[in-house]
Amino acid sequence: MIHFGKLKQKKGKIHINKDRCKGCAFCVEYCPKDVLELSEEFNIKGYHPPRIKNEDECLYCQLCETICPEFAIFVTLKKEEEEVEKGES
Amino acid sequence: MKRTGVFICRCGINIAGTVDVEKVAKELYKHTGVVHSEDYIYMCSDPGQNLIVEAIKEKKLDSVIIACCSPTLHETTFRNAAKSAGLNPFQCEIANIREQCSWVHKDMEKATEKSIKITRSAVERVRRNESLEPISIPVTRKALVIGGGISGIQSALDLANSGFEVILVERSPSIGGHMIQLSETFPTLDCSQCILTPKMVEASKHPKINLMTYSEVQEISGYVGNFKVKILKKPTYVDPDKCTLCDECTRVCPVVVPNEFDIGLTGRRAIYIPFPQSIPATYTLDIKACPGLLPIACGKCEDVCEPNAIDFDMKPEIIEEEVGTIIAATGYDLYEKELMSEYGYGKYPDVLDGLQFERLCSASGPTMGKILRPSDHKEPKEVVFVQCVGSRDPELHCAYCSKICCMYTAKHAMLFKHHVHDGQAYIFYIDIRSGGKGYEEFVQRAVEEDGVLYLRGKVSKIFGDKGKLKVWGVDTLSGKDIEIDADMVVLAMATRPSKGAEELAKKLKIAIDKDGFLSEAHPKLRPVESVTSGMFLAGAAQAPKDIPEAVAQASGAAAKAITILSQERLYHAPTVAMVNVNLCTGCEMCVHVCPYDALSLKDGKVEVNEVLCEGCGTCSATCLRAAIQIKNLTPLQVHEMIKACLGG
Repeated sequence: MIHFGKLKQKKGKIHINKDRCKGCAFCVEYCPKDVLELSEEFNIKGYHPPRIKNEDECLYCQLCETICPEFAIFVTLKKEEEEVEKGES
Repeated sequence: MKRTGVFICRCGINIAGTVDVEKVAKELYKHTGVVHSEDYIYMCSDPGQNLIVEAIKEKKLDSVIIACCSPTLHETTFRNAAKSAGLNPFQCEIANIREQCSWVHKDMEKATEKSIKITRSAVERVRRNESLEPISIPVTRKALVIGGGISGIQSALDLANSGFEVILVERSPSIGGHMIQLSETFPTLDCSQCILTPKMVEASKHPKINLMTYSEVQEISGYVGNFKVKILKKPTYVDPDKCTLCDECTRVCPVVVPNEFDIGLTGRRAIYIPFPQSIPATYTLDIKACPGLLPIACGKCEDVCEPNAIDFDMKPEIIEEEVGTIIAATGYDLYEKELMSEYGYGKYPDVLDGLQFERLCSASGPTMGKILRPSDHKEPKEVVFVQCVGSRDPELHCAYCSKICCMYTAKHAMLFKHHVHDGQAYIFYIDIRSGGKGYEEFVQRAVEEDGVLYLRGKVSKIFGDKGKLKVWGVDTLSGKDIEIDADMVVLAMATRPSKGAEELAKKLKIAIDKDGFLSEAHPKLRPVESVTSGMFLAGAAQAPKDIPEAVAQASGAAAKAITILSQERLYHAPTVAMVNVNLCTGCEMCVHVCPYDALSLKDGKVEVNEVLCEGCGTCSATCLRAAIQIKNLTPLQVHEMIKACLGG
């Protein structure tokens, strides 16, 4: 929709370390864009780790990364967006 | 018994043509209590008024009846004449024998008879009139201007330069309105920002103007001279005093949403400054776009803000102010584009509205003044402009003419040719309305110098076809169907009252017309006043208008506001409701029917706020015990008037 200007929406790529997760669901609960949901599957510890529902909505705010007590989730900038960032600076 | 004088006006032949005024005078002289009766050709003329003054003095009259036109016209004239002869002005009443008799009847005999009855009933009424003194109220010498566009800015500046304190409330983060979005203005092609920003700066630096941006009027109570307003100041989450405009926050903000200033052609961050010349020059955190503060989801802007200007704990504030007058300058919005689906707005990125095209032409716009297609950033060669999109279409859209589109479309076509010399501009129009100083010449210049092709007719459909936009229309002058392969289409959307204007009008108790624009008190003689006294209208909130008209009306509204603010005290007609506390049972029926909120219950009895009361009499008609009455129009007086009419 936005056709002009340098500003592009940042897109995050979410990485989940399933086996570290203890299924507290903080990331699912507090994600402002409702990107995650709890899965049905079990991890090595017997918890339900989160699953990505809608990665396109991810704004790269990194709240999940900050809030996770187990360091089980982190976000990186999607590659093409990273290049745009570098090109700008 | 009172000594009443009766004066019958001939009003040329307006009255005397249908009513035998001499007979009326003769008959009235026979009526009990009438000690003087005469007719004259024009009672409102100076000699006519002198007749009244002389008669009051000579015959020692203590009340007078003028049988003439409607009291809305000359009541004040005659009351002042009576006053100059030493009579209390409320001992002078009008018998309307023109609008209510001579103008609506043909039969002279019957009209004369009716005139006699009307005048007799007025004599009966004045017999029980009390001598009253006007109610005096103090004035708060401060004004509120709602809306920070060109009209609001102009009104605020005029008031402030006259020495009055002004509160200028704007709901968006910066003042400037739509005018700051425009590229050039017709017919002189002045740069819009260049002529507006000096006024914006002056308003922001003026010691008498209290600028409140990102704020909305929430509640208004009180009356002319003494309004109480509650203003909601929304949190910007940025302290403007600490902010150094370093722009670090926008670099880290992860969110991009459409930028309102460029009407979605570009993006902005959740924390943003609307445009470089924004006033106040500070950033605003748009809480709707921000990932969230409860809990703080992102907080990146706060982390990088070196001067610590970002304060996530900022709360909405309600500020209470007292003002004497209010000017509503809420402006316009363009018609909802979604309603014009046949023209493909929203479906095809190269179909733009007028404001978006302004941004494309603007040197400060998304393309730095180059006209490019949004879809592929190529220069368009064939551009079709469509006028009256949504306007003058009573069946489906707005019945009224949006007034500014003919001129700005001519300007758009001209600007397009100035940017793209080998391009061709087509304009579909119904009529060209170019009334205004230099306007017609401007349109002619577009045709003659810039070769703009005007096609008289409507466009039926616009659709995408191999990277171009196919425009189907008809030229009603030649009767031929027209098909144009356009690179870009610009729609001159109808202008509408701005969003929220209706809600505000309810709070202000200002009437709105059928199209939602704020209603003026009289279309000819009171064009800047609202029906509520002390409230004035400026700019496109009242009707579509161009910049010079909006500025003129804004200055007019300011001048009208000054007529109130410059007074020490205001006076209000004393013919208001009064309560007989011995009869009042406190049933509150009158409280609920009062259209002016003038009545309230105190200690089980009704109390009248005499300043708010307009003397309409609804309460009196509702009261079952005649406990509430209008001064000088009591049920007893009404009863005797009816008796006189019936000839009893």
